[in-house]
Amino acid sequence: MTKPSSGLSLRRVLIAVIAGIVLLCIACIGLFAVIGAYSNRSAPSTEPPAAYDPQSATLTLAYSPEKAELIQELVDAFNQSKQRTSDRRTMSVQLLEMPPDQMVQAALGDEPGFQALSPDASLWLDLLDLQWAEAHRGAADELAPRRIADSARYAVSPIVIAAWPEVAQSLVGADQRIGWADLQARATSDPDFRWSHASTSYASGMLATLAEFYAGAGKTRGLTAADVTAQDTLDTVQALERSVSFYGDNEAVAMQFMSEKGRNFLDALVVQEALVVQHNLAGLDPLVAIYPREGTLWEDHPLALLDDPRVTDNQRRTFQALADFLRQPEQQALILARGFRPADLNIPIDGPDSPLTAANGVDAREPQTTLQMPGPSVVQVVQNVWVYTKRPSNVYLVVDTSGSMRGAKMENVRTALLSFIAQIQGTEDRLGMVEFSGYVTNIIPLQTITPEYRQTLRSEIAALDARGDTALLDAVRSAYVRLQQENDSGRINAIVAMTDGLENASATSLRQLRREIEQQNRTGVRVILFTIAYGEDADLDTLRTLAEASGGQLRTGDPETIRELYRLLSQYF
Amino acid sequence: MKRSRTVFIAIVGIAIIIVGVALALRTTGRERPLVVIPKGPIQVRILTALPVEPWVRQAAERFNQENHRLEGERIQVEIIATDGLTALGKYDRNEFGALDADTDPAQLSPEQQQALTRFPTAWIPDSRYLPELANTAYKERLGRDVFLTDGEYRARPVALSLSVWGIYQSRADVLDQTFGDINWQVVHDAATNKGGWPALGGNPDWGFFKLVVPDPRKNVGGLSAMIAAAGEYYDRPSISTADITNPEFQQWLGELLAATTDLSGASAYTAEDFALFGYSVGDGGLLLESDLLNNMQGIKNRWGEALSIRYPSYVTWFDFPMTIWIGPETSALQKNAALEFERYLLSADTQRQAISYGLRPVSAEISVTDSADSPFVQWADQGVAAIVPRTSAMRSPDRDVLQTLLRWFELNVAS
Repeated sequence: MTKPSSGLSLRRVLIAVIAGIVLLCIACIGLFAVIGAYSNRSAPSTEPPAAYDPQSATLTLAYSPEKAELIQELVDAFNQSKQRTSDRRTMSVQLLEMPPDQMVQAALGDEPGFQALSPDASLWLDLLDLQWAEAHRGAADELAPRRIADSARYAVSPIVIAAWPEVAQSLVGADQRIGWADLQARATSDPDFRWSHASTSYASGMLATLAEFYAGAGKTRGLTAADVTAQDTLDTVQALERSVSFYGDNEAVAMQFMSEKGRNFLDALVVQEALVVQHNLAGLDPLVAIYPREGTLWEDHPLALLDDPRVTDNQRRTFQALADFLRQPEQQALILARGFRPADLNIPIDGPDSPLTAANGVDAREPQTTLQMPGPSVVQVVQNVWVYTKRPSNVYLVVDTSGSMRGAKMENVRTALLSFIAQIQGTEDRLGMVEFSGYVTNIIPLQTITPEYRQTLRSEIAALDARGDTALLDAVRSAYVRLQQENDSGRINAIVAMTDGLENASATSLRQLRREIEQQNRTGVRVILFTIAYGEDADLDTLRTLAEASGGQLRTGDPETIRELYRLLSQYF
Repeated sequence: MKRSRTVFIAIVGIAIIIVGVALALRTTGRERPLVVIPKGPIQVRILTALPVEPWVRQAAERFNQENHRLEGERIQVEIIATDGLTALGKYDRNEFGALDADTDPAQLSPEQQQALTRFPTAWIPDSRYLPELANTAYKERLGRDVFLTDGEYRARPVALSLSVWGIYQSRADVLDQTFGDINWQVVHDAATNKGGWPALGGNPDWGFFKLVVPDPRKNVGGLSAMIAAAGEYYDRPSISTADITNPEFQQWLGELLAATTDLSGASAYTAEDFALFGYSVGDGGLLLESDLLNNMQGIKNRWGEALSIRYPSYVTWFDFPMTIWIGPETSALQKNAALEFERYLLSADTQRQAISYGLRPVSAEISVTDSADSPFVQWADQGVAAIVPRTSAMRSPDRDVLQTLLRWFELNVAS
């Protein structure tokens, strides 16, 4: 008998070997694909790249918060498009939120932490270029070096006064138009009129302040540093600033509160037009945009690349690709849908798809004219002088030192309180502190912030000790009563109260305190409560009730964000 | 059983070898040297003036796609948008890292060689006087020119344009009615009128007369506007430092420029800004013809009216010369590749495409009105002329005039 099985078996062996190899190869390819996918996964979007990579195609873009939603949406779409550089690196953009004036300061340093920036207006870029040239120019006859290598625009929006229709109607002047002068006259003559603008860290705040300085100097253009610092001008500006209800941390947040709280909160607010459109598109009680007769400014949201040797060729390519991407019809349509005016002039802003309509409170043919923006050195003087003209404040910090605050939580609060104190720059501002656990353990009465008092506060903060229960309501009441007793309506009166737990030890009930705040705020001095829910266990309902009773705000924070939260709140005073 | 074991061991062995080799290759791939001298395409980096950048960039994209080669290597052109004055400042400060006269490129460290890969191969500034000014600085430093005025690598204009008045039609009509003409003196009188537009016979909502000129610190066009204004003030095409320092002229120019709306705008005040912010920032201004033509339709779309174009009596021409760096920082291959691209820009097809960007071709044989789509045809009714009316061309300023003007601007207008 032959052994046919032997030949067959050899074939089988060969087939099995080949099949095995093929299967293993497939498995290897699969394994590499998995490893490759894992190693290429993008880093968290808010963190800058850990180390300098000369081939990096990841661009970190600092942006100002009034367009947070829009820029996040646009950048997500860009990152999803997965464009590649010529050396096959995937282009990506990481976002970093920052107020415009902080962007300028960061960009003046050697390591700004970003390669590109998109502040709310170009005026910050010019300020940056000016300060950069001052610091880096050699001889006076040398061409000034610039910090900005390239810039582009993707969306613009004029700054307007957002007001309720009946408020706008009541402001109309003899020529059927409304100007800064009308707003200012009303604000100084009607004690019940509530208006607000952001601080001069933002373009809208800068414009509102500039309009006041123009009015104070009796000019409509050609504002000089001498005009700004003249005593008559300062007196006028100070009188106007005394009528401001509060200064928000940025216009978008102020607008959000105006939307939520309605007419009792504010009569008018200086913001970019897009925010009025967004408010009205949400189907809320409608607002109208007033384009001031004397002129306005534009928030032109420039996209700029830093001129820095550490910006890689690939990052420059990513910048160029992003700029091109933002100008594509799809993105430009999205920009228009969000109430901004697209940079692509081929897209009609008065077409059927445009939300820039009278129904949404805006007029696409406005503004007719702009207020003259002075040179950057005058702008700097305005910023510096404004601190001394703005409405002063009486602020009580109500601090929870109950047992649950022990450890890192307390440490973070200490740092946050110190940063709050450091931010309050006005020479007339007064600050006090109420410390509580199971009862009010320590009260530091209101005092003007002198260097000596700052030192006292720092020592008190360093000595904060966490123990006991939570008597939040008693502590808030203690601060509230003291502010009412001051009876100082010329100032912003506010309480910043923070707790991480549930109320469990107060003699005062929430209902009593709420009623007292509502009643006293009507008949006495208006005191605004900013309440901070610190951590997940904080008593949100109580804090919200207190904030709402006073027309204030509830904010939430955690150990990572508490410092930034206190810094933001400091901008309200 | 024994055979099965052998087969199993063989399979596992082969698999281990495959995985081992693959991992070894991967690891080798990761451990690249710190500095890699790029191989492959010949890189040509061109600093390009803003008014021609869109046209040049599009041409570069086409050029790259067409796979042009030199000595067997593919040419890759990269365009870097840079205003002429900004680029001049960078050359002046040696920010690109030109080597000292006694440095031998062959002796450079790999890191230094890597840094040189970012050195611009060529420059297309707004006007030919800019490379001449750069040469002055390098002559002092290196004892030689870095941009040539003759020979193979000499500067060759790739497109033309000039400064013209662009004024919103409604505003131009009022000025025509009030003054009968539009020139620097008329604009000065309108700008300094304390009553603003109502006093000039215009709409009160228009506010004051607002002038648009590019920021001379960021846009060569701004400098040329000031020089053209000086030309008309003195009624001659050549301006000296003494003319600029004349107090009467300075007062006149200061009053004129005080009518600009945004003295701190970070943008260079290009026609695109003019279009984007419309008559709210400017009723009219002296801007580049090509920029205005490029944005004319957008201006009409957004603001409901087009601009009236007027040619001033003293004009500044922009010839956008492509000029190749002749130093050892770039290779001969890169220089010749740049020449290839220059020829491409000067080809009849690419020159014709320049017209659609509002630019005038350098070749007189190509007419700007050959195509019905040409902006020179489309906007002829708004005053755009295929042949520039009889005007005087301003002469290129020397470095002293340029610096005196800029310094005066910084101290008196932009501070």
